[in-house]
Amino acid sequence: MAAAGGVSTDDVPILQAENLTSNVKSVYYSRTFLSIIGGVVAGIWGFTGLMGFVFYFLIMMVASIGLLAKSKFSVQAYFDSWTRISIEGVFGGLMSFVLFWTFAYDIVHIF
Amino acid sequence: MGIGYVVGVLGGAILAHAAYATIQYRAVLKITEEEFSRPPMDVMMELLLGLALCMWAGLAVPAKFLSVLPHSEENRIVSFPANLDFMIFNHRGRALPSDSDLKLKT
Repeated sequence: MAAAGGVSTDDVPILQAENLTSNVKSVYYSRTFLSIIGGVVAGIWGFTGLMGFVFYFLIMMVASIGLLAKSKFSVQAYFDSWTRISIEGVFGGLMSFVLFWTFAYDIVHIF
Repeated sequence: MGIGYVVGVLGGAILAHAAYATIQYRAVLKITEEEFSRPPMDVMMELLLGLALCMWAGLAVPAKFLSVLPHSEENRIVSFPANLDFMIFNHRGRALPSDSDLKLKT
């Protein structure tokens, strides 16, 4: 067998699947919570139109920097690619953001 | 884990207080018949403080990141299971490449 001897250089890297799943789930929880909080803050502040979406992507950028700091700036030790920590999950929380944005805006500014 | 929850609840309370202050501010604007353009400065500071606290809680409360590297220190086996009769060494893991230098750790 080819893999019976030493280390083969064309193998895919072997990762701990349980730990990777736990890390991705943790990133997803953080992004969902910050989408909700960002929506509440945008509604109270009174953002309308495109300013709300700019605020959302600003919050997601700060959250990506926070998650990067949480992984101690070594992405290879905790994830299989850098997009897992910086891009994945950003657009998934957009619906939660719009929901809580319009809800908070209605409570504070309309009702 | 507990202090993250406390910081998150505190951030939520600060946001609720900022919402109440904005509602009062809108009521004052209705009396003086002015247009709303922006919350007052202290309410904006309160919103940013609540957002910062909730962001810290949102990053601290979920589970810590675990290392995915198989030879990492966190994934070392530091104790044997209680029943050694169930330890099996003759399995398909032999097909995986093994780094014998990393196995001999003091």
